[in-house]
Parts: sequence; structure tokens; C-alpha cells
Amino acid sequence: MTVSFILNGEDVAVKARSADRLVDLLRERFGVAGVLPDCRRGVCGKCLVLLDGRLAPSCLLPAFKARGREVVTIEGFAQTDEYGDIKGGFADAGLETCGFCDSGKILAAAALLERNSRPSREEILAEMSAVPCRCTDPEALVKGVQAAADRRARRLYRRADQ
Amino acid sequence: MTCLSDLAPEGMVHVLTIRSPSARGRIVAVEPPHLPKGYRLAVAADIPGENRLRSLGVEVPILASGRVAYEGEPLALLAGPDPMVLAELAAQVRVEIEEEEPLLSWETFSSDQVVAKRVAVVGDPELAFSIADKVLEDAYVSGPLEHWYSEPQGALASFDYDKIAVRCATQWPYHVRDSVALALGSRPEEVVVRPTRLGAHLDGKLWYPSLLACHAALAAFLLKRPARLLLTREEDFRFSPKRASSSVAVRAGLDPTGRLSALDLRIAVNVGAHAPLAEEILSQACLAASGAYACPNIRVEGYAVATDSPPMGAFAGLGAAPSFFALETTAARLAEAAGQDPVEWKARNILRKGSALITGEPLKEEPPYDEIAERLAKASDFRRKWACYELVRKRRTDRGDGPLRGIGFAFAYQGAGSSLSGETPGAYAVEAVLDKELRLLIKTSAAVSGGSAIDIWRNSAAELLGIPLESVAVAPPDTDSAPDSGPVSLSRGIAVVNKLVERSCLAIQKRRFRDPLPISARSVYRFPKPLRWAEGRVEGSPFETAAWGGAVVEVELDAWSLEPRPLGVWLCVDGGRIVSPGRARSALRACAAGALGSCLRESLGCDEGRVAPSAYYRYGLLPLSELPPIEVDFVGAERRSAAKGVGELPFDTVPAAFLAAVSLAAGARLDTLPVGPEILASTEGA
Amino acid sequence: MLISEVHSPQSLPELLELMRRLPAAALYSGGTELLREQAGKYIFLPPETISIGALPELRQVSLTERYLEIGAAVTLAEILELKESALPELLAGALRGVATPALRNLATLGGNLATRSRFMDLWAPLACLDALAELKDAAGSRWINVNRLADDEGRPAFPPGALLSRIRVPLERWDAVALRKVGLRDYPAPETAVFALAARAEKGILSDFRLAFAGETALRLREVEGRILGRRLPLGAKERASFAAEYREAAAGLPSGLRQQFGTLVDGALDLISR
Repeated sequence: MTVSFILNGEDVAVKARSADRLVDLLRERFGVAGVLPDCRRGVCGKCLVLLDGRLAPSCLLPAFKARGREVVTIEGFAQTDEYGDIKGGFADAGLETCGFCDSGKILAAAALLERNSRPSREEILAEMSAVPCRCTDPEALVKGVQAAADRRARRLYRRADQ
Repeated sequence: MTCLSDLAPEGMVHVLTIRSPSARGRIVAVEPPHLPKGYRLAVAADIPGENRLRSLGVEVPILASGRVAYEGEPLALLAGPDPMVLAELAAQVRVEIEEEEPLLSWETFSSDQVVAKRVAVVGDPELAFSIADKVLEDAYVSGPLEHWYSEPQGALASFDYDKIAVRCATQWPYHVRDSVALALGSRPEEVVVRPTRLGAHLDGKLWYPSLLACHAALAAFLLKRPARLLLTREEDFRFSPKRASSSVAVRAGLDPTGRLSALDLRIAVNVGAHAPLAEEILSQACLAASGAYACPNIRVEGYAVATDSPPMGAFAGLGAAPSFFALETTAARLAEAAGQDPVEWKARNILRKGSALITGEPLKEEPPYDEIAERLAKASDFRRKWACYELVRKRRTDRGDGPLRGIGFAFAYQGAGSSLSGETPGAYAVEAVLDKELRLLIKTSAAVSGGSAIDIWRNSAAELLGIPLESVAVAPPDTDSAPDSGPVSLSRGIAVVNKLVERSCLAIQKRRFRDPLPISARSVYRFPKPLRWAEGRVEGSPFETAAWGGAVVEVELDAWSLEPRPLGVWLCVDGGRIVSPGRARSALRACAAGALGSCLRESLGCDEGRVAPSAYYRYGLLPLSELPPIEVDFVGAERRSAAKGVGELPFDTVPAAFLAAVSLAAGARLDTLPVGPEILASTEGA
Repeated sequence: MLISEVHSPQSLPELLELMRRLPAAALYSGGTELLREQAGKYIFLPPETISIGALPELRQVSLTERYLEIGAAVTLAEILELKESALPELLAGALRGVATPALRNLATLGGNLATRSRFMDLWAPLACLDALAELKDAAGSRWINVNRLADDEGRPAFPPGALLSRIRVPLERWDAVALRKVGLRDYPAPETAVFALAARAEKGILSDFRLAFAGETALRLREVEGRILGRRLPLGAKERASFAAEYREAAAGLPSGLRQQFGTLVDGALDLISR
């Protein structure tokens, strides 16, 4: 079957089989490195994408589920101001990651801040549970998301001022 | 650094593993269906060199031949260009095994299952027991644990002109190199390993990547194309080495003042099949059996038991954690029996400078127990809470009195600098080169460790040579750029390699103003004398230095379901000189989160030593939302002693502290983790 | 079977016709149930699959003063985003306990409720609230009480060939609600179950009392509830003990760990309403 969807802002179409997971299509056909197939159960967060603006594990999406929808990976998200807020916030908090869960963490933080611009510690931990990883220091992660929220607020405030 | 799963060179073939469906038996047939062009099945007979991985003194077959030793053992490899075609072909491979009854029992075992035995006796335990004031007996089982490292295991092999290039995530690049060379019948120099990003490993990638590298290399050799083997997470979960399960039976005797007068420990460790690290794991388990306590009469008897299960191995260290768990849990009961609070009881019994270790040698340093205990007690308000919760539990009439709470404290050490049996002394080195522009390049295969270790070395070098940090670089850990610095494990990356970096820099510093630049220096790791276990004694130094640490865990039992909820974790660690406290704190918190996970959630279903197939779907790390605040404190930094590895300490201490807390809250004697609904059985009567 | 024929109906009548024609086809909504026990590179689906997650008729949410209606293809995350006053706390609590935020963006109400092998997290709170489920097939549509999705033995009894199109949840004021999930939280293991309680009192008399418990099997004892109703609060110790005993007896068929937990939960429930 041919599946047409929007990938990082571009209209794309790909020949896929019912058995193909979106995560593998993204990597193998579109060269997207920002999603990693790992647990294939939707729990590790390494394959997260934004599907119509919502955080979703691309390993649990058969190709046909992407039809007509908007898929954003970290490559697409990296073009946004929000990405800068989050990268900066994580750096402010000294958050260290293993390198495998970064994209998932950034997208999860983005999804959270989009809905809730000043999340509490509990709200952060609840949302970031989508990307559990051995490398994560929970305190640094909370601080990182809060710092990202600060940066975002300052940026939007500056923009409002102009 | 690149991730293995991102590497897909042109013309690459994928490799799938055909595994044994049986745990024991004779291989009758492994028959592929008709294979299209470009697809190939490889069996043991196709291995050009030797069909074995020489790992730390034990031989592991690369592909099973003749007989199978465990369910899931690799029998053959199927390689080809299209992964879907490959998956369909793999499903049609016919495997016939003449099955035999598998040997899965390990808590009770027959003598032919014993691959290693350790016995050590100090003093006269039997006499001490006969006159002891109180004697307690307990038995503990620690199940297998899954590493859930950052990336499932795999390897990519390709021919690079006249060399075989291997890429994989590994804690020991040179072991990969030598293993692939042996398998292909090549000289080690003909193989070059360029490690990929390692991420968090928890000691799960010490030797197994070498096996997978041999698989990939074999496929590349036969098909004359780059070949990549990537285990799915599920395959990795079920078949790569897990933490070896162990059972520890403890008999402890107290004298009339409540001091520990006798210990008798019986340990059995399920090392699975082939068991490359059996000797080491058993040694560490036995050495840690008496915990951090001074006891004049000790008997330890340990067995590494082989079963027809996948090889089991290291997990955040090599076997000490289950022993600390057992002894610290018993210690909580001993304190109770002695009528003392845990902090006080430990203070009276902890090892001190000059105390005899189980090897008979006196301890050279003073464990900073008092300082650690004081800091922890203060930070967590331990004494008051412990007394209060104890009282509340005794007086409680019904649930209306509020939820049940408990608090526990455990103390342990992490030894550093010991050798792994089977290693060649003098084989590991670190090199450094100072060039004309006064830039330093550190070369070590241990650079696979990544970020924080590398920063520590760079800091050490910059400091010693008086050059800016930006002038210090670390070469990639490729085997054609860096020397073999041995396996990187949780204790070695810092303690050993940092020392070698420092020594190299000091050597350069000495010659710097005399000799022309560039100057290079090479430091070789001098192994401490290995321990000698013989005639019921163990001699030697169990470790060069030790990092000491304690943990306090507070829990609350849900008022309705009685499930334990952690309220707080406090860690206090003496790791020597801490170059970067923020980072070290972060790393310890991440470890503590993992340790807490092993208490609450991470369960593999100990199905007679095998990892049950459904266990993968049940498994998960503890969600972040269930983590309590975790506080980490350091002591001893001002003493300027060498940096020590501390990554194992959370696993050595948190489980026992957790269990003590839950036991206090529930008024029950609990002895396994994770804690299940049986906790209710004990509280029903309370 | 690596290749499945995937049908994407564009309307509800088209869907129902497909279901009639292909009775063995899998309904793919959020997919979390279909994909649950698979972790290989490829996805195995039955030979025929019908994708229903995007059908607008199944994604409606409507709110009146007395009811909340939710379409079966609405995701769990979307339900949680409804305003607080519209979403009963019992339901919200259960939703929060399902999987992770990312998975809740895929998992749908229908996928959680229309299960045949065991009960998932939403049955107990919805049964407690006496929610109604609309079932459709080619012959027509009907509303049934969610409690009837369990048979007399407490086993799942979702009618074969039927489509769950929406649920209707009564919005009522409760004086006491409680929800607890026991066992493995992120996986529907045999020891995983959800306990739900809702109760109301008027002038010191218990006017409504509902207790539901569901894991592999479901438990709701209307007969016992009927006898607890009308009692004066606080309940006396003897009364509590007697009702607790009845519940425990009814739970005799549960595995021992779960049975003990259920007993403690019932004690908690009776205790709660007495305050």
C-alpha cells in the first residue's frame, strides 16, 4: 500500500506493508536518525514522534496509521524556537544523557510545555515517564524542564514586548 | 559518537540468530529452507578459525556444535540483504534437537554442576556459635536482573581493505578484537575495532559484545559484504547475560553485648551455561559475604553452579551486591535482637582500621562509617523516624491511624582495583603524548566510558601538566589508535585508568623540560597480587582501595492496597576525590533510581533459572513519577585520596535499606525483592 | 502472517458492513491491544484488519448537565484533557494509571473496554458509575449497562460481532470515591486489577454504595450493595465485618495474592464511608 503523510513539514509518500512499523520506515526509507527502534512496546520512549502534535511511540504505529497525518521527528522539531528553549534548559540544569534517549526526552518535554507552560515537579515526572532510561538523574531532569520553561517564558515575553 | 543502529553501510546484509528451542540435548539438524541468492546460513562448521570465545579463562562456543547448553543458544546465523525476507526464511529453518531433561535447579544442586567452589574460614565459628548469646538464621534469594542498557547489543563487521573492521558498543574493545581474530583465524593486528557509543551499560557489555562481533564477522566473511547483527530488545532481554541469581543462607551469632561474634554463610550462584565470569562472581560474593562488619569467626562456603540457562554475569559489579543485601538485611534483625537501633548496632560492629578482613589482612584505611552514618541520620531524621514508626506499628489498632511507614539503613563498600581471574598481568596500559604545541593526547581503550570519566582524566592531566583543559584531548578508543586498558567496569574507569593517566602525565612532566617535544609516556597497570583461595582460606588483598557508602530509604505502605511507596532515598558516599560533584551526584542518583527499580518493579520471573518468555512484556523500569526525592552527599573529598568508583554502591545498599524499611512498616520478616502481595499475608495478622 | 489486508472505512455504515462481511477481521483503533504481545521487527496482524481510529462518528464527545458521552475512538489522553467538572474523578483516576502519557495518546476508550480476554482499567470505574455502552452492528444499535459486559461468572462478555461506538457516563455528585490499581501497573498481568468505589450519603444514611473490582475477572455484588444501602452511618464494627466477610467469600475464586488485596481494599472502602 502507499501511505501519504506529512513528515517534518513535507508531503511524502511511501510504499509500505501492513507489517511495517513507522519507526523502521522513518529510519530506513527517510533516513531519519532521530527515532530509535528499541523496546517495540511503546514504553522506552526512544522512538517518540509528534503525531498531529501529540507525543506518540512510532514503534506502535503500523505504516497505515500515519496516513494523512502530520509526523514531526526531532529533525523537524530542531528547527523551532521551542527546541532551543529545551536544549538550553537541559544545559542550564547540567542534565547529562546517554545519547540514545535525547530525542525522546526533548520531544516529551516539548509536548509537556506546549500544554502546560509552568509544570510542577510531579507533572514533569509524570510526563517524562514516557522516556525512562538508565542514564537519567530525575532531579536534573526536573530542573532541566523547569529551566526550559523559564527560557520559553522569557522568549515569549520578549516577543510580546516587541 | 555514533550509535551502532545508525550504521548501515552500502551493500550491508542483516544477520539473524537461529537459536536452540531446547535447554539441553544433542543437535540433530539445523536445516534452512531453500535460500535465494545472497542469503546464507552459517553453522559452527563454517567458522574458519576456532569456534570459541576465550573469555576470562572460560570458553564459550560461538555457535553451538554437537550439543546445546541452554535455551536460546545460538545454533546458526542467517544473513541476507532484505530483513523481511530474512525474517520469513528464519521462521522456516528446521531445528531438531534430541531433547534431554534440562538441569535448571541451582539452589540445590549436584556436584557436577559446580564450576567453582570457595571456602574460607577465619577463627572458630562453630565454637563461637555454641557459646553465642543469640543465633539468627535467614535465607535470601536475589533474582536475575536486567541491565536495560541504553542500546540492545549487536555488532557490524566489514572488510576494510586488508583488515576486518568491527563496530559495536563494548566495555572492552580489545576483547572484541582478539575474539574476532581467533574466530576468523586471523592475527589480532588484522582486526580493528572502532567502538560505537556505549551509553549506560551497568556491566552488561563486558564480554557478550565479543560473541556478537564474532557472529557479524563470520557473516561478513562468508558473504563478503558488511554484516550487521542487531538484537531486538526482546532477544537481548531473553538471551544476553543477566545478573546471576544467588541464594545466601546466613547464620549469625551475637555475644551478650550484642556484638557480632560468628557468621556462617552459604552461597550458591546460578551462573548458567559456559559462565565466563563464574570464578570472579563467586569470589566477590564470598568476599562481600561478611559485609562491612568485623567478625572474628567467619565461615564462608560458596558455589558457582552451572545450569542449562543462558550464561549469567555481571550487573553493576561482579557479585557483591546480593551478599551485601543478605547481610545488611540480617544486620537489621541482629540490631533488633540486640535491642539497639540500626545505626548504633552498626557503629559497634563495623570494620575499623586494623580490623581483620576475611583474608586475615588488616584493613589499611579507616572506613568513614561514623561520618557517613551521622550525615545520613541527620539528613533523613533517621533515629526519630525509626523509633516513631516502630512505636506506631506496635500501637496501631486500625487503618484509621494513618498509613504505615518504615525506614531502613544499609552500609557497604565497593572494592576497586582487583583483577578479574584470567587476566594477564602487565597487559593493560594508557599512553599519553605531549606535542610541540603543548597539547596532550590521552590514548586509552577505556575512552568507551564516555563523558564523565573522560572529563576526569582530562582534568587530572590538565592539572598535573599545568596546561589548559582545552589542550587535553582523548583519542578515540579504536584498537588502532589506543592501547588496551582492560575492561571498563563500574569500578575501573575511574580508579584504575585515572591513576594510569596521572602516572603517564607525571612521567611526561619529569622529562618535559629536558627532552624535546613531542614526549610520550606509557603506564602499565600493575595488578595487585591475585587472591589465593586454598585449603579453606583466602589470602591476599580483596581490594586496593574501597569506596564506602550508606543508604537510607523511607517507605510508606498504601493505606488500602498496602503496596510500598518510597518516600525518600538518602545516599552518603566516600568516593575519595570527586572531580565533578554535580556529575557524580547525578550519576549516583541515576543508579539509585535503578536500584529502587529492582526493589519495586524490575522482576524477571525466576522461572527455574530461565527468563520466562512473557517476562519481557511484564518488565519495566520504575516510572519517574514513582521516584521519591533522592539526596546524595559526599564525604572524604577533602582527604585528597584518589578518586574511586562508586557506581555499584547504590545497588549494594538501597535494596537492603528498602527491605528493612518495608519490614519495619509491615511488621514482617521479608527476605526477597521485589515485594509482592504476600506482604499482606504478614500484615493481616498484625 | 506478515501481510494483512487493511481496510479504512470512511463512514460508520461502511464500517458495520465490513464487520458483517469480515467477522474475523481485527478492529484497529489505537492498536495498543493488538500490538501488546509483539516485539519483533514486524507487526503481525490478522489477514484482515479494519482501521477505525479516525472515524469521526466514533470520536465525538458531548456533555450535558447529566451525562458525558465519549466516542470509542477517543484517546485516553483526550479524555483526560476534558475539563475537571466534566470528568468524574473515578474515571480520571483510572485513566491516569494507564501506561505512559505517550501510550495514552494512542490507546482509545474502545480498545480498553471492548476486550474479550480480561478486563482492562476502565471497566471497574465505569461499572461503578453505571455507565452505558452503545453497541452497534449491521442490525442496529442498543445501549447496555457496562456491568453487563461481564457475565454471571465475572468473565468478559463483550458480544461478538458488535462495535462499541460510545459510552454515556452519568454525572453525579459522590461523597466518597476511591480508585486503586493493584499488581503490575504497566502490563495486564494476572495479578493486575482495578478497584473502584463510589458512595453517597444523605442525612447520615447511606443512599448509594457501589464497589467494583476487575482484573482477569470482574466482581460487583449488587445484592450486597443493596443491603448496605439504607444503613445509618457510621457503620458499626459488626456490620462492617459482616459485609467484608461477604465480599471476601465472593472473592474466593481469585488467586490468593489478589484475594488478600481485595479484602484489604474492601476494608478500606467500608472504613472510608464510615467517616
